[in-house]
Amino acid sequence: MADIGSLAIAAACALSLYAVLISVIGARLRNANFIASGERGVLAIWALTALATALLLRALVGHDFRIEYVASYTSSTLPLPYRIAALWGGMKGSLLFWVLVLSSIAATVVLQNRDRNRELMPYVSAVLMAVAFFFLLLLVFLEPPFERLAFTPADGRDLNPLLQNYWMTLHPPSLYLGYVGVSVPYAFAIAALITGRLGDEWIRTTRRWTLFAWFFLTLGNLFGALWAYLVLGWGGYWAWDPVENAAFMPWLTTTAFLHSVMIQEKKNMLKVWNMVLVILSFLLTIFGTFLTRSGVISSVHSFTQSGLGPFFMGFLLLALVGSAGLLLWRLPLLRSENELDSLLSRESAFLLNNLILVGMCFATFWGTVFPVLSEWVRGVKITVGPPFFNKVNAPLGLVLLFLTGAGPVIAWRRASARNLRRNFAGPLALGAAVAAGLAAFGVRNGYALASFGLCAFVLATIAMEFFRGVRARQALLGESALRALVRLVAKNRRRYGGYVIHVGVVMVFLAITGTAAFRQEQQVTLEKGQSFSLGGYTLRYEGVDTSDSPHVATIAARIAVFRDGRQVEVLLPEKRFYKKPEQPTTEVAIRSTLGSDLYLVLGSYDDGSGVATIQAYLNPLVRFLAYGGVVMAIGMGIVIWPSAAEQRERAWAMRAVPARELEAP
Amino acid sequence: MRFAAAALLVCLFASAAGAKGAPSFRELEESLTCQCGCGLTVHACNHLACPSAVPLREEIRAQMQLGKSEEEILAYFAGKYGEKILSAPTASGFNLAAWVTPFLALGVGGGIVAVALMRWRRRGEAMAAEQSPAISVPRYREIFEREIEKFSE
Repeated sequence: MADIGSLAIAAACALSLYAVLISVIGARLRNANFIASGERGVLAIWALTALATALLLRALVGHDFRIEYVASYTSSTLPLPYRIAALWGGMKGSLLFWVLVLSSIAATVVLQNRDRNRELMPYVSAVLMAVAFFFLLLLVFLEPPFERLAFTPADGRDLNPLLQNYWMTLHPPSLYLGYVGVSVPYAFAIAALITGRLGDEWIRTTRRWTLFAWFFLTLGNLFGALWAYLVLGWGGYWAWDPVENAAFMPWLTTTAFLHSVMIQEKKNMLKVWNMVLVILSFLLTIFGTFLTRSGVISSVHSFTQSGLGPFFMGFLLLALVGSAGLLLWRLPLLRSENELDSLLSRESAFLLNNLILVGMCFATFWGTVFPVLSEWVRGVKITVGPPFFNKVNAPLGLVLLFLTGAGPVIAWRRASARNLRRNFAGPLALGAAVAAGLAAFGVRNGYALASFGLCAFVLATIAMEFFRGVRARQALLGESALRALVRLVAKNRRRYGGYVIHVGVVMVFLAITGTAAFRQEQQVTLEKGQSFSLGGYTLRYEGVDTSDSPHVATIAARIAVFRDGRQVEVLLPEKRFYKKPEQPTTEVAIRSTLGSDLYLVLGSYDDGSGVATIQAYLNPLVRFLAYGGVVMAIGMGIVIWPSAAEQRERAWAMRAVPARELEAP
Repeated sequence: MRFAAAALLVCLFASAAGAKGAPSFRELEESLTCQCGCGLTVHACNHLACPSAVPLREEIRAQMQLGKSEEEILAYFAGKYGEKILSAPTASGFNLAAWVTPFLALGVGGGIVAVALMRWRRRGEAMAAEQSPAISVPRYREIFEREIEKFSE
């Protein structure tokens, strides 16, 4: 079976090179058969990688320890969901999974565009398959997933215990979908550059794909944060680790692109800039992969480290030089007659938004690579840690938060003084009142005051927009409030879906501010029966529970949680000992309320005396990280759902197909 | 409204300036990186018997008892363990580039955006004057805009 898997990968590799060549040749010679052959190649590559993935999954699930990958990342006692997730738990499997996601997306794009974008498609296929070819080369020659061991071990070495968490099944696939999703707009952008069809055709076609990629990048980042929060046990969720940064940077540039693309759609401006953003986003996804897998920069994500660094660097440089060359070549065609009615307009606000987002991306990039730079220049190893990133990015983040509220209510083309007063006076007053109120209640942290004030400002602008829209419909059409709201959103999905996403963003800011400025923490060593208090809670240590299985042994401290003298919960922070890799981990216990999380870690336990050391954190508003994610997902659903007009358009297109086929010889 | 905007801005800049005082244990903990490989600051590392964070905390306390300033204490740690123990680059020499470059880039980017916006506005004004002379007359322009605004409500 393993041989069939290896063969499938080798065939997919050869076929991907064929698909690149035949598509380009077909496009050059305008030969429809060649182009069709390239597209069938894309579908075949999908089938082959799906087959290889299925076979590897079968080996993982079925404990086939003859295969090195299975023996390295699973064991006979590893539960089924993690045996499946082990597919992306190590280098070889995760590369295969990457190619599967890429070829699935490529196949979908090919099927979607059988009757559209025919000029662009050969190059789109070629670009996507060129990326696939690179990853498949790695799979064939350097990281063969079906490699066999010389002997069959009795058991596997098991999955890294830190990865044995339910987020393992969600975070990597989301991030991969996001990362790989970015290659679709990139492929269309490159195709547009090659063919010279630089109108908004490629932008309209890839709008959904860009949203798709952005959505999964957002989820990937949030899931990663929530996972770190549960698993790493230091009470936080974001440590500006190089690999976190690697996932954050393409998110920033994709967010910038989603906004600036609206200016191109509305005013046919910023064509070059949008190209730059798409190319940058793609390069950053490859850079992220390079960071995770090269070991150049030390990181907590060293699970998939290997010697692939130079190959990724080479591929990155190739993509950079190729894309930049194409862009420079087409620069004369991309020049648009940019014009602006007023400096105070939505257009300017969007440009400022782009400046800040790309500025944050650069600051993050700079801080991530600075240690390497320092070693080159001075020969001295230094650390660029959380204090640097927080100091540099926090003020930028606050400006961005302000723009989240301000941008959408500044009129397109030209904002009059009246427009500004009408849209800003109320929300600004509310924001200032919130900040002043908090200051009166003793909040002294300037960042927190600014952030909460701005959150109130943004929410007020959004609420006002909904209110005005609903009232206008009520006045004009006599609809009930609820009906008016539903219709309002349904008729302007992008606008109001966007507002909903902004509400989610505000919630994430609330969480970040709450935990950054108001976290309380305490470390105590307790004997059985002793208690301590933290932020209105009293916690009493009542002894330990132990359990043992062939897979893992656990010891859990029983902590009774009291609030206002009444017991509200018993929390069980655990220490676990995974037997195969002989590695201890911490399993935190959390009591979540809307206002805050009580987060307990069992630091140590002395068997003889029964004394336990507990680290307790009170993380205010941290739940809003997850709620914000849910709200953003809802907003995304609203934006991405096809509108009635689009559905009609598609229905027409579908009806047009048979007619054209009849004409064909 | 101006006042409200000003108040928010003041909060922003006041916070950016930050307050300096005697070194606090927590600040020092956060200024140092744990060397156990966790990648976190000494403050955040939660390995109870951490071979790096625990002795470092003791060392911080000992240094504080000597009555040293924050800079002196951090200099002591950098001298003893190498610069990589500091969780953020120092603000001197080549390291200054770490702090300055992002804002420099932002400034340059901001400059480019500003120049572009000015040029586009000039072009926009020229176009408007060319295309519809009536609307470029201020009085009519104002009426036109009021109508448009009413329409978009």
